Amino acid sequence: MKKLLHRLAGLLTLRTSAVLTLLGLAFMVWSMVKPTPLPVMLAMSVGQGLGTTAFAIYAYIVIREIRREMQRARERDPS
Amino acid sequence: MVSWIISNPLVAAAIGSAVVAALLLVWYLLRRPALTHATKLVLLAAIGVLPLATATTGNIAGFEATKERQFCGSCHVMTPYKHDSEDRRSTSLAARHARNDLFGEANCYACHADYGMFGTVVTKLGGLRHIYEYVFHYRNTSLEEARETIHLRRPFQNATCMHCHSTQGTSWNATKEHASLLDRVRSGEISCASAGCHGPAHPFSKPPQARVPDPAIAPAPDATQEQAR
Repeated sequence: MKKLLHRLAGLLTLRTSAVLTLLGLAFMVWSMVKPTPLPVMLAMSVGQGLGTTAFAIYAYIVIREIRREMQRARERDPS
Repeated sequence: MVSWIISNPLVAAAIGSAVVAALLLVWYLLRRPALTHATKLVLLAAIGVLPLATATTGNIAGFEATKERQFCGSCHVMTPYKHDSEDRRSTSLAARHARNDLFGEANCYACHADYGMFGTVVTKLGGLRHIYEYVFHYRNTSLEEARETIHLRRPFQNATCMHCHSTQGTSWNATKEHASLLDRVRSGEISCASAGCHGPAHPFSKPPQARVPDPAIAPAPDATQEQAR
């Protein structure tokens, strides 16, 4: 279980986020170029799901990074 | 297709945002820059702001697209209805309404939409049901069979007609039949599209006795319109 969690955490990278965003955008653009039931439904469900996941990963990584920077700054200058 | 995208500002904006976001993401994936403040800001635009703009404008464009006759007719079982609506010589109610500029390309939606407070949501949920039915029951149905079996789930409501034909106009009430049946038309007891009045909306509409019964839905006792599924 720990190994699995470690592997999942390893997937949380900005590259993964970028790839997921590209996939989500592809679904959204497909629905606009070909507005038939299947593309429209996939864009509004899978496409937006991928986009939201990608942004959540980005936010997680950036916030984690900012907190680390603040921690380092505190360690350098405890006052 | 290009002219369609350019003529539709929402679609053009959505695709433009998506292209810029994709370019920034491809740049990030290929160059692998260090995670500086500038990189974070570029990624905020590429992963957050621009895709959000694409999703928002894309949603609006998508919902608008679902109102188009082209969208309704993209399932093969609906093509006879679409062709009838587009036929300039057809005298069916649907075709005559499609020739009205107020309905135009959205004539299916104008008559089949729910106009209640949550009408759009209810109509879209109904649309999801249509897609479910199509994918699981009608995808391989022949056109001949579809014409015989497909029918409305519930009787068509006069309220939908009354959304435009309010039944209060002088010329409307000047028609003897309208005046004598006013209360029964307003209450929905007599359908506007019943055989003795304006007739069925589509050439393939089924008379009540020819409908395939759906055990899940009890028919209205005096329904004169198509029902079920």
